[in-house]
Amino acid sequence: MQVVATEVVIVGGGAAGCYAALELNRRGIKPLIVCKGMVGKSGASLFAGNLVISGRLLGNTEANARNTAEFLIKYHNQFLIDQDWARACGQWIENVYYAELEEAGLYLRRDDAGNVVTSPGMIRSVAANVQGNSGVPFMDLRRKQIIRAGIPRLEETVATALLRRPDGSVGGVFCLDHLTGEYVVVTARAVIMATGYSDRLYPRSTGTREMSADGIAMAWRAGATLVNMEMQWWHTNDVAHPPTWQRMQIYPNPMLGSEKSARMVNALGEEFFNQQQDDPLAFGPYTVQLKALARQVQAGKARYEGGYYAGFDNCTAAEVETYTTYAKAFHQLGLDFPEQLLETAVTAHYRQGGIDVDTATMRASVPGLYVAGGVGGHSNGLIALATYDGKVVADGVAADLPELGDDAPAEQDIALECRRLDALRTSSGTGMAPVQVKEKLRALMWDKVGIEKTAANMTSALDDLAAIHRDVLPAMRIANRTRSANYEWLDAIDVVNMVDACELIIRSSLERKESRGPFFRRDFPLMDNGKWLVANVLKKSSDGMRFEQRPYALPLFKPDFETRDNLEVAW
Amino acid sequence: MLAPAAERVDARRIGQAEHHDTLAARNARLAPGDTLTVRVRRSGDAASGDGFDEFAVPYQKWMRVLDALNWIAENAATDLAYRWLCGSKMCGTCAVRMNGREVLACWEAVEPAMTLEPLRNLPVIRDLVVDRTRYEDKVASLEPWLERASAYAQFPEPLDHRRMQNASKALDCISCMCCYSACPVIGLGDVTNFAGPAPLVQLGQTALDPRNDPQKVRRSLALTDIFSCVSCYKCEEVCPAHIPIVTRIIEPLKAKAAELVPAMAKHSFALRDIVAARGRVDPGALVLRVQGLRALANVSRVIRMLMRRKLNPLRTFLNIRTAAAGAASRILGTRKPK
Repeated sequence: MQVVATEVVIVGGGAAGCYAALELNRRGIKPLIVCKGMVGKSGASLFAGNLVISGRLLGNTEANARNTAEFLIKYHNQFLIDQDWARACGQWIENVYYAELEEAGLYLRRDDAGNVVTSPGMIRSVAANVQGNSGVPFMDLRRKQIIRAGIPRLEETVATALLRRPDGSVGGVFCLDHLTGEYVVVTARAVIMATGYSDRLYPRSTGTREMSADGIAMAWRAGATLVNMEMQWWHTNDVAHPPTWQRMQIYPNPMLGSEKSARMVNALGEEFFNQQQDDPLAFGPYTVQLKALARQVQAGKARYEGGYYAGFDNCTAAEVETYTTYAKAFHQLGLDFPEQLLETAVTAHYRQGGIDVDTATMRASVPGLYVAGGVGGHSNGLIALATYDGKVVADGVAADLPELGDDAPAEQDIALECRRLDALRTSSGTGMAPVQVKEKLRALMWDKVGIEKTAANMTSALDDLAAIHRDVLPAMRIANRTRSANYEWLDAIDVVNMVDACELIIRSSLERKESRGPFFRRDFPLMDNGKWLVANVLKKSSDGMRFEQRPYALPLFKPDFETRDNLEVAW
Repeated sequence: MLAPAAERVDARRIGQAEHHDTLAARNARLAPGDTLTVRVRRSGDAASGDGFDEFAVPYQKWMRVLDALNWIAENAATDLAYRWLCGSKMCGTCAVRMNGREVLACWEAVEPAMTLEPLRNLPVIRDLVVDRTRYEDKVASLEPWLERASAYAQFPEPLDHRRMQNASKALDCISCMCCYSACPVIGLGDVTNFAGPAPLVQLGQTALDPRNDPQKVRRSLALTDIFSCVSCYKCEEVCPAHIPIVTRIIEPLKAKAAELVPAMAKHSFALRDIVAARGRVDPGALVLRVQGLRALANVSRVIRMLMRRKLNPLRTFLNIRTAAAGAASRILGTRKPK
């Protein structure tokens, strides 16, 4: 076992984790990144299609700026967001973010005359090099900034537990380098959890391979309070075949340099969604699309699993391909572009909720634990927001650092975690393989905790989960006990986290007795702003868990009705 | 004269139409209900003696190589080690060799009979997982980032796409290392210090960016041994991101190296000068110009070359021009020595 000491350890190598590391480093505080995949090559940040323009940048009008804020608060978060935080974030994006990225070398796409190319419309965006693939050069830049700054990184290394000091504060993480099989204990004065939005808890998920709700599960076990875990987000127009392309989207957003956007048609060929025509304010129209699809499903003209189509047959190839990669799937399948459409299906996308934080400092409820990006429960989506968290958490940690302890984590916890992981690797179980348990769990979530939820189905899912916990996990079969690149062992570690996260999601979903945005309850179809415009706070208690409600302040935007059928609400 | 743009073919498409090897054809070879035979290179614990395990995998619509690997790992060999993260051509971690050709597993259509092996030119950790360290270290050593000659002023800075055209192509790189595996010069091992195509593309992202300080670019290029590239186009042929690696990255970088670090381009300059002066290559003159008189110390090579008529001392020392000399010097122009 290796022991590494640093001042701050960051778990996660996406937009939030990288920026937190860079900002800490700039303040003279020594960070270290632990990344289950590879810094800048795993997680959701890589999927950023474009960057939304905030404030008055690049010719944005006052109306554009206001639309962007309204979109974020209503369409992206259904008002479950700290609006003052959102405003501060918008100001930072306008004043700092774009210049910081460009100074570091990001190429925001220009035309031949030297203008930054934007998408037109009520909310405008730009692309890093090419729309649809912006996350690749964006995160590659972050990776190189980390290398250039000499920030140490442990890659293909999974954090398996938060380590606590005798006083209960978090003082490090236990890790497994899953290429060598070596255990690594990283001790630090503070831990920043930055493991992202996506958990891969459904058969179709946009998350990358390594995502298994580790951040949520570790934080919960360490006693952190969670919030809005029921608020799951869906993509409705991700490619249906082949299976691995489930995370490839027929992007519905406005295109750079074009007035048009992709359209979706049902099984009969009738168009049922086209963002630029149907809801120009819904820049990322995921919830609007989901509601449109739900109506098609109710009418028998589509299924959530497929049988409807999306594409660009309303555009010319040049319109799509001058500044975007949106045609790549069509071309790779040898289809005629843009004439042919692709079958699409629903894919679980982001978890809006997550670890409850103080948005001024990004502190979690457990001393020593901080949060940046999607694993937090304070906002949803957009790479700029995740990046802003990196700045705020660096400020927060820097301010707290003198008061944070530097005692070593409890030896006993380290020994326990060693034994837990050893036992998973050397299991003599004869049951299902870990990867099969993952699929079983995902199927269960889709069948009983899918898009349209009911108390009966979710209660039944809790029974199934209990059975998996009791019978399936202890009997998992491991075919190979090697320590070297043993992904089966990794799956066994993952699946324990997934079971815990599924339970937290289901219990939170049962608690929120309304429908809101992408959260559909068949037994509570109304959006209820009177009772439920609140944070659904989940606290660990001596006998399990308890829920509390915390209202949101509404200083900028507020809904103009008390209750309404959620499907009739645009956002 | 060049053919019209629509009729031109790039390296990767030569022969495709004639051999029904178009993308449409590749996606239509199998139908749901078919079974494909997949042989996978294992690291030591394969059931058969040849190091491969064979699996019968049911075809799913538009199946990718990664889907086949996922099926195997879920149903047949749960301990199969293979790397992937995003599953949709962004992270570049799932590249393997399929039937001898480098492919991105998440992107390439399966074939009815496939043999899957790890990438070449990198150590294997287990099964299909290679150790990327050698590549990552090389990229880092080239310091592939921007250093401005003068301070950044404000957003947005003056820049246009025409001047970013080559760098923009390089920015499509997902560092999957398909090209690094396919490169025959990297395959020579320590014979050269060639950085390899993928590290050069990574460097090209900023070295071909007009915002970068030429002094910074010079320092990086000096570490690449870029003129060891033989322009065989293997890298371009396998690149899943369709980056014209030779024409848009390596050749422009070579031109920059010739300008900024002329000593690196000694061989190219000598070749060009000889052709311009004489209308043809003169191997004797080329070797003498590049290596000097020490080239003569290898007597057995000199004799071998004489016997094979590779050397013609008379022509070399009398500087005899061929009839093509006039045309060659017109085309190549005269180079001002630095």
